[in-house]
Amino acid sequence: MSNKAMLPELMKTHGISRRAFMKYCASLASVMALSPAMVPRIAEALENARRPSVIWLSFQECTGCTESILRSHSPTIEDLIFNAISLDYHHTLQAASGHAAEAAREQAMKENYGKYILVVDGSIPIKDPGYSCIAGISNLDMLKETAAGAAAIVSVGTCAAYGGIGHADPNPTGAVGVSEIIKDKPIINVPGCPPIPVVMTGVLAHFLTFGIPDLDELGRPKAFYGESIHDRCYRRPFYDKGMFAENFDDEGARGGWCLYKLGCKGPITKSACATIKWNNGVSFPIEAGHPCLGCTEPDFWDNGGFYKPLSVPAGDYRKAGVAAVAGGAAIGVASALMSKAKKAKAAKAHETVDAHDLEKSS
Amino acid sequence: MSATFERGLNALREQIDAPVASFFTSCVNCGLCAEACIFYRATEDPKYIPIKKLDLMRRVWSREFTLFGWIAGALGLVKPVTDKDFSDWETLVYDSCTMCGRCTLVCPVGNDITMMIRKMREGMSAAGHAPVELIAAAGRHADLGSPMGELHPALHAQVKHAIKDTGIEIEFDKPGVDYMVILSAQEIAEFPDVLGAMAKIFKKAGLTWTISNEAFEATNVGIQLGNRDVARVLVQRVVDAAEKLGVKYVISPECGHAYQALRWEGPNLIGRSYKFEVIHIIELLDKLRAEGKLKTKGKNTQKLTFHDPCQINRRGGINGEPRRLMNMVAENFVETDDAGTMNWCCGGGGGVGSNERAEGLRHAAFKLKKIQLEKVEPEVIVTMCAYCHHTLDNVLEEFNMDQEVMGLTELVAEYLDDDV
Repeated sequence: MSNKAMLPELMKTHGISRRAFMKYCASLASVMALSPAMVPRIAEALENARRPSVIWLSFQECTGCTESILRSHSPTIEDLIFNAISLDYHHTLQAASGHAAEAAREQAMKENYGKYILVVDGSIPIKDPGYSCIAGISNLDMLKETAAGAAAIVSVGTCAAYGGIGHADPNPTGAVGVSEIIKDKPIINVPGCPPIPVVMTGVLAHFLTFGIPDLDELGRPKAFYGESIHDRCYRRPFYDKGMFAENFDDEGARGGWCLYKLGCKGPITKSACATIKWNNGVSFPIEAGHPCLGCTEPDFWDNGGFYKPLSVPAGDYRKAGVAAVAGGAAIGVASALMSKAKKAKAAKAHETVDAHDLEKSS
Repeated sequence: MSATFERGLNALREQIDAPVASFFTSCVNCGLCAEACIFYRATEDPKYIPIKKLDLMRRVWSREFTLFGWIAGALGLVKPVTDKDFSDWETLVYDSCTMCGRCTLVCPVGNDITMMIRKMREGMSAAGHAPVELIAAAGRHADLGSPMGELHPALHAQVKHAIKDTGIEIEFDKPGVDYMVILSAQEIAEFPDVLGAMAKIFKKAGLTWTISNEAFEATNVGIQLGNRDVARVLVQRVVDAAEKLGVKYVISPECGHAYQALRWEGPNLIGRSYKFEVIHIIELLDKLRAEGKLKTKGKNTQKLTFHDPCQINRRGGINGEPRRLMNMVAENFVETDDAGTMNWCCGGGGGVGSNERAEGLRHAAFKLKKIQLEKVEPEVIVTMCAYCHHTLDNVLEEFNMDQEVMGLTELVAEYLDDDV
């Protein structure tokens, strides 16, 4: 299945012109914030790319990430890229089932050992591995086994990247992201709940052409996660003017004002939502009138209420705050009592001053 | 007994309470009090920033009443307060503060800086670091009944003059009347015309009044010293005399700190409320005006302005009253900048006026008042405090300015309608 046809032949069989292909390379370059000079290199790299084998593992997930990537406005040239890779195992999409499915994975691993790309969506339970199994193999074991022969790992979605919703307090399954388990392989995090389709395909294309992209401190490609939604939001001028929607049916909400006070997490969320947008560039949550949930950030589920403004403290801060207040109050009461005793002592020691007592005897 | 450092430190400790602690902790060092202070504005010397004048008390508070202070004190990181500190701070607390209350009013976090200066003076006075003039005045006031000494003969002479001038009888120690008049020593010695003015107005209004031989002195050197024990004794004299005569009201005269002493501090000093009410003479005149018992005829045609005494307006709340009276008798009444509650102090209040050491500073501080006056160029400055009157007279002469100063009561009495 893998390492067979080269891209130009595939293009011919799919009726794609050279012009359309170059256009795709240019848009990919712009989406990844690369210089236009890179377009020919992208084209060259893609033309010469052999179809690498891709193994897609789904753990504790909702299939939203898969749904998202399927909606990359097909049929488009991105579809082709997915034809250009050899998706050898994806239990939602593949036709094979049961033993045949697992056999496909084992075969792909064996044939491409050390060269295949591992894509993961969903978190991995480590409290009791039995919480989530595929074909009788726990997620933890399957990840370790498959990761061992991978050239690189792409963690798709916030669950695979940082544990996501499974990891949310109180985290009953002990869910964690891939990077908590696998330490010896390059890992690219593509968080989002789900990630933008073109971001997923773009990251894969980058990997095919130039290898591992530049990553930020949370392992995200800087090309797509370099700026906050807030900095690129078309409602930013309202924020700057201090015009906020306070309610979902007030004048501000109807007028398209800033959603900060309705809990928008845009200022702390790095994602390309405001520029690339969704549904083939139609819209994104803020444009649809809903505050950003901050889904590309770790622990976004526990980051206070979705409708609480960022300025309201959340999570452990509250507990710490209560403890600090209680501790402070205790110290305060103790010192107040000591001070009071001191003052009382001073009052007791008071000697009435007579008008003739005002001079110092020298 | 005499004043000692230990007594002063102990008095300072007694003064530190929850408001003081919260004021020190809530100061944000914004510097607004600096801009509000006549002494800072006149000199621009940072040591005159009002909250800085309290640094010594702040040190006692933080060293002895805060957790960090205890720890730092135990480790020897903060210096204990010494008698030298008291003497270093004496001029800041007594010479460069008239307790005018302007800093308190502008403080954005609501710190009552003036009240803290008052508290700090408790410690300073008990430690023997009050200005010598105030100490001497306290002795005279305690022994002879007035900070200027024995004023009985002078008072009786002035009353006789007033009776002769007006033809109205003024009786001493008359029980059963409604009002008891007390006077400031300054009025008796320097501005006695106020006696005849009051006699005329009260007769027209049909008020019954008297003066007590036991307590005619309204001033209270204890308040200027910032010593509550001394202040209590002096307030008690007035209270005893008024309650013995059974009057309904005691009229606080045109004197700033006298009003502060009797009206606001008095009940706290003696620890109970009075059996009479305290009313300021200007408050009373405005009340009579409203009741139709004060009728005037004609108006003064000179250019008049009004100087608000800090203790009566800003710290006393009497703001609209003098203006209504001014408009009654003045044709050409002009207000200065900052008139009313934000008026600049004359520079002589809070004991600064009698403090010879502070003369230079007092004259420098007049700069702001001078700018106000030069802008308006009045012929006469009317006021309702004998000590403002006295201070303004002196500085106007010092600066070769030829404005006349007069009391509002006298001005109103001049235009009483004799036909009614």
